Amino acid sequence: MDAFFAGMGVLLDPYMLFLVFAGTVLGIVVGALPGISGSTTTALLLPLTIAMTPAAAIAFLGSLYCAANFGGSITAILINTPGDPSASATAFDGYPMAARGEAGKALGISAVASAIGGIFSVFVLIVAAPLLARMAYQFGPPEYFALAVFGLSMVAAIGGDSPVKNLLAAALGVLLATVGLDLTTGVERFTFGAYALSDGIEFIPVLVGLFAISELLEQAAQHGAVQSYIKLKKVELPTLADFRKCAKAISLSSVIGTFIGVLPALGATTAALICYNETRRWSKHKEEFGRGAIEGVAGPEAANNAAVGGAMVPTLALGIPGSTTSAIILAGLIIQGIRPGPHLFTEQPTLLYVVFGSMFAANLLYLVMGLGMAKLFARIALIPATYLWPAVFVLSVVGSYAPNQSMFDVWVMLAAGVVGFLFRRYGFSPAPLIMGLVLGKLVEETLKQSLLIFDRNWLMFLTRPVVVVLFAITAAGLAAPALLRLWRFWRASAA
Amino acid sequence: MTVPGWRSRTDLLVAAVILAFCAIVYGLTYRFDAVPVALMDGLGAELFPRLVLGVVALMAVLIALGIGITPMAAPPPVHPMVWMTGGAMLAFMVAVEVIGLWPTAFLFVVGLGWLWGERSLLRLALSAAGLCAVLYLLFVRLLGGTFPKGLLTSLWS
Repeated sequence: MDAFFAGMGVLLDPYMLFLVFAGTVLGIVVGALPGISGSTTTALLLPLTIAMTPAAAIAFLGSLYCAANFGGSITAILINTPGDPSASATAFDGYPMAARGEAGKALGISAVASAIGGIFSVFVLIVAAPLLARMAYQFGPPEYFALAVFGLSMVAAIGGDSPVKNLLAAALGVLLATVGLDLTTGVERFTFGAYALSDGIEFIPVLVGLFAISELLEQAAQHGAVQSYIKLKKVELPTLADFRKCAKAISLSSVIGTFIGVLPALGATTAALICYNETRRWSKHKEEFGRGAIEGVAGPEAANNAAVGGAMVPTLALGIPGSTTSAIILAGLIIQGIRPGPHLFTEQPTLLYVVFGSMFAANLLYLVMGLGMAKLFARIALIPATYLWPAVFVLSVVGSYAPNQSMFDVWVMLAAGVVGFLFRRYGFSPAPLIMGLVLGKLVEETLKQSLLIFDRNWLMFLTRPVVVVLFAITAAGLAAPALLRLWRFWRASAA
Repeated sequence: MTVPGWRSRTDLLVAAVILAFCAIVYGLTYRFDAVPVALMDGLGAELFPRLVLGVVALMAVLIALGIGITPMAAPPPVHPMVWMTGGAMLAFMVAVEVIGLWPTAFLFVVGLGWLWGERSLLRLALSAAGLCAVLYLLFVRLLGGTFPKGLLTSLWS
């Protein structure tokens, strides 16, 4: 209880409240800008947090993460272009609602459903993260190795057009994490004599390049595209009848969204798409879906915000990111010298209550702002690309240069941007590479420690029950798509 | 983007590039310094990167064989604006060394905005000045950072 009061004491400091407010406003605004996702926003603003205390940094990033998902729904509804990929399912029914003059109602239910989903998941985070951490407290290097491998295997489901390409990108991320001094032997790896690479590849330039610069190049390819904007009169609070209609969608999606968020690597976009389908499946008005069903907005919005709190559960309790954005937040904490995991719960409980409190506050804040200021946010979201993307580039350069005052890092950012652009062009998603980069060191360290414990006998991994279970789940997860395809093929042949 | 059939030339090309990359990087692992004798009992510095390269190569082979992927058609040619934007970024990097970060940032915002189709130079200049002012206040005044001043500025001062 002392930690709770200490955490609230830290959070109620005016500077911290300002950061939560700023994080929420920036999250909504940038989340609403088409092309700049929550991950890109978090990566772009990560350099700002270096000068902050760990508590301030995580409060700022946590608020940003919560609000960006909601911000994405504004443009999904008004211009049929999701500001954040997690809002793509919202556009299916949000835009048709707006097209028939119900933009205010769609934004209203979006704000309310998002806040309910988000707050529900924060409560789950408060309860589940310490429990998971307690379970993981007895974990040794072999268990962590198996857990990290499981987390990496889950990236197969992230994005891009195939699990194999996602796994390949994740492995490349792990390879990138091996650059620099090997901590066990002191041998320099892939540094080519460059001093700047001795400590490994910096997270920030790679994150900024992969997300912001590659997106800038994508936008350059689409320049000249015209967006049609549906004018918003005012945001309306959902009526009691609307609530009754959406109650099942919101509650179901909050639960499913949180659960999907907890699974390593699966984030808000997956949660929203699955919950859109589930909402339609359980709805009494299936025929309305795709034509402007209010449940079709409430379900995915509750889900994508619920996934945020869910994603923070494994991130904080195990140090295994629950989503791409939480991987960036994890990178931010590592830069601050904090490695999340079970020990965080005993060593720095105050920090955790700051996280819980700031995320809770951000959910309430964007509800108020979403209902009161959506019109303003919608206008900001329509900043022309000719002003927005040059500014994003300058911010990327400044953000990449600032932490180490190094132009080398800016070159790394540009190189990462080109890699990200080529990745997208050939059907790879940059997100698994980030997962690999963030988890790479953990995978290598725990593998080495395990092999020392096991006297280099790889079979000894099979003597640890938790490891066996995690390896079995990993293998099942990797084999499932192939087995499913075989099963369908067999059924088609039989028919 | 997808084509019928179980493999495509694009996927084969992607797989070939990745396999070539793996071969080069694998070769580089032989150039690591020798591990001190006292540490020979542990896992060598080269073993883990080689294991990961094995996984990457395996995935590349699966892509080449069309297993676990949706076959992909050749992407359309890169839009000329992408090349021009890339060129502007490289010009930015050169200009930073000569005239410093803030003047370069101002010129870049105006230049790229114009390149992308905005014809009001006044509005571009105002937005560039506003952006540079905000970033300067945040990163230099508030966070105490220093940024490249450029060769010419250094000579001037």
